[in-house]
Amino acid sequence: MAISRRAFGLGLLGAAAAGTGGYLTLKDRPEFRGYLGNRAHLFGFIGGEKQAFLADPDVVRALGGYGLELDARVAGSVEMVREAALLSQKPQFLWPSSSIMVDLARKSGAAIRNDQVVLNSPIVVYTWGPVVEGLKKSGLVSVAAKGGYNQLDLKALLDAVLAGKTWSALGVDELYGRARIVSTDPNRSNSGFMFAGLVLSLMSGDVATQELLAQHGDQAKAIFRSMGLKSSSSGKLFDQYIAGGLGAEPMAVGYENQLVEWALADPARWQRVQAGTGAKPEILYPRPTVYSAHPLIVIDPAVDQLLEALTSPQLQELAWSKHGFRGPLGTVAAGSDTIAGVRPAEIEAVLPMPSADVMLALLAQMEG
Amino acid sequence: MPKTLTSVLLLAFSVLLAACNASNVKFSIVSGSENTVLEPIVQEFCSKQGASCTFAYEGSLDIGLGLQKPGGVDQDAVWPASSVWVDLFDSGRKVRNLTSIAQMPVILGVRKSKAAELGWVGRQVFMKDILAAVKDGKLKFLMTSATQSNSGASAYLAMLSSALGGREVIEPGDLDKPDVREAVGTLLQGVERSSGSSGWLADLYVDSVRQGTVYDAMWNYEATLKETNDKLRQMGKEPLYAVYPADGVAVGDSPLGFIDHGRGADVEKFFTDMLAYLQSDAVRKRIADTGRRLPLGGPAIQATAEPDWNFDPGRLVTSIRMPEPAVIRKALDLYQQALRKPSLTALCFDFSGSMEDQGEKQLQAAAQFLFTPEKASEVLVQWTPSDHIFVLPFDSAVRDNFEASGDPAGQSRLLAAVAEQHAGGGTDMYACAEQALQKITATTDLSKYLPAIVIMTDGRTEGSADMFLNQWRNAPVRVPVFGITFGDADKSQLDSLAKATSARVFDGSGDLAGAFRAARGYN
Repeated sequence: MAISRRAFGLGLLGAAAAGTGGYLTLKDRPEFRGYLGNRAHLFGFIGGEKQAFLADPDVVRALGGYGLELDARVAGSVEMVREAALLSQKPQFLWPSSSIMVDLARKSGAAIRNDQVVLNSPIVVYTWGPVVEGLKKSGLVSVAAKGGYNQLDLKALLDAVLAGKTWSALGVDELYGRARIVSTDPNRSNSGFMFAGLVLSLMSGDVATQELLAQHGDQAKAIFRSMGLKSSSSGKLFDQYIAGGLGAEPMAVGYENQLVEWALADPARWQRVQAGTGAKPEILYPRPTVYSAHPLIVIDPAVDQLLEALTSPQLQELAWSKHGFRGPLGTVAAGSDTIAGVRPAEIEAVLPMPSADVMLALLAQMEG
Repeated sequence: MPKTLTSVLLLAFSVLLAACNASNVKFSIVSGSENTVLEPIVQEFCSKQGASCTFAYEGSLDIGLGLQKPGGVDQDAVWPASSVWVDLFDSGRKVRNLTSIAQMPVILGVRKSKAAELGWVGRQVFMKDILAAVKDGKLKFLMTSATQSNSGASAYLAMLSSALGGREVIEPGDLDKPDVREAVGTLLQGVERSSGSSGWLADLYVDSVRQGTVYDAMWNYEATLKETNDKLRQMGKEPLYAVYPADGVAVGDSPLGFIDHGRGADVEKFFTDMLAYLQSDAVRKRIADTGRRLPLGGPAIQATAEPDWNFDPGRLVTSIRMPEPAVIRKALDLYQQALRKPSLTALCFDFSGSMEDQGEKQLQAAAQFLFTPEKASEVLVQWTPSDHIFVLPFDSAVRDNFEASGDPAGQSRLLAAVAEQHAGGGTDMYACAEQALQKITATTDLSKYLPAIVIMTDGRTEGSADMFLNQWRNAPVRVPVFGITFGDADKSQLDSLAKATSARVFDGSGDLAGAFRAARGYN
């Protein structure tokens, strides 16, 4: 059961417009509020993939205009809604990367006033030129007929990992040892959490249910065991991918916006990488994949203003054009030429996540 | 608000910001010793900003343990050799904005003529080749303690990975497999000297060459090997040939992260500015020139390969997959308790009159730490039954000597013996060193052990080093003499003794148990 990105985006657009419209009538020009009075200092936890967005001076300035100053600490999406050590620090907001996290936060006893999806981004696999070339030879990667982006047969790759196949058996001669793919820790971070749901559904042959979990949970567990030490946040894993290169991180699971953001952050660097002789970073879109929505969870009333700011056209535009997040407002990119060909307008084959109960059971099984 | 007013406000704001630029921020960093070479680059930035920056160098485990404390580390930033230590210990998420500055594979540098003799020049070398060379008695190496320092841990985990025959990752059950234990235990028999610090180990190699002792090989960072070879070249000595084990190495990612002590926004801004400075093109080039690999950003920035010793920072190295934290912890315990080369340690305890009161109390407390397995194992310096320990309390002469293996019963006997000692009399640490050396050299199967003498004293000693050093030079093994100082000790005599024997002195005045622990990392 796949929903098209357009339908998905339009639904979110409707929700967001209804949310912001109400606020805008309350205060005249809220984006200038910050110049008039004291700034509200808000403390909360965010998924690592949004760190660069919130640290962007343009974003800081725009939030400052709303009278807001953030102390946003990076924590995994799953741990920020479940870990007592984090929740006991009395965050005023949580900004995880999946709608399921709202349910989990509620189950952990967080006093949620409001929540709303602010951004979204599909789960992708980051890899390197030589891996893409090799996997094309072995048929695991193909070019999408519509959009021309690289699609990964994720089920076939997972089977190869479980079978202990080597890189060279998959057509990648540059790398020594067994094929591997790494995500963040599903018990702490959302991209790993969503990837776990996707893996389980792929192993099950359908969107996973409790019965399918009982049959196929072990396979999903084996995939995650083969990863070893897993990063606690998506931002960290992406940094490790960029820093470690082909030898250290041949394949890492992340959000689509992460490489887009990295390229946009320093276009000259991106041009240099593209022109260079070294292995180049590449995005593979798993077929099917899952979408990650980023809901802002409001705990303290003071955060209402943050929600208002983040859903404003100004910040939505910054989120897309400088950081690659597909927003609920579906903004068209300015400056997307820098990264032409990297992100398709539309992604086919999107799978819904298993239900929160199935996911919790899967997490418990993987922890044990 | 009219546009002009906004502009005026913004202008006023930026003028204010510019005025703040000459900050007098005080900023402190706790870092791994491998970054010593980068400190001048950071200090340049600090002085340009009018800030005063201080570096404290600690082993990765110390940095990790610091993060684990409720209060965290005292410094404003951490810069360990690998983010693994942050992942392992920073459960309270105190570290922010952790960013990799460089990538540093841990590889084996082998004296070039030795590498040629082993047939390793110009071909792929696997861990099993290294194992065979150690087994045949053809290769020994320097390696830092896996439980105290990242480079040693990296080499050790690469050994474990390789012993599993190319499986993706080490899992808990793997550590109980007899063949894995045997392979890694044999590899670790190749350790000739250990230390708690990679930078110190590299200095030891160079200083030893200068003094005429030439070690075969050293596990260290690729970049540290480059530093070492630059020095060796200047001295006209042969370089260490870079061996990149083809079945995978561990790569340190040298991450710099901020710790918020609530000292204000300008301190955090100073940190982010420093990060931006370290990531700027010009500075990246300077960092790359030290032999470090840089995070993706264009291949133009990279130190030139040096084929004469097989150094090539552009070479693709396959890195091993780091295991789960619980497995790493278990692997480190296994190293300390079973696989590392056993210690043969002679401890000289100063019970002279000047130790009365405070000194004696501290010494007894240190002995409590040292010989209580639960306490020592918390920081991974516990003894094992394979270790052999001598305790020699001394004043103007050695009062008595006790010995035991490192099993719990042996340790408690040693503890009881120390407890009966009280301060009094003169001081001659050389007399104790002489007897300690005799005890060590008389041990059977000496080559199975890593020997060391550790002298704990307040430093004021009679006697002369000459006779001891004479004995030392004629001994069949090189035994380093470490010093641990108390109170307001005069370090000069201990320093020269440590220097002459390729060891070092630890300051125990603040934290005696901590100094003991550090010293154990070298043995």
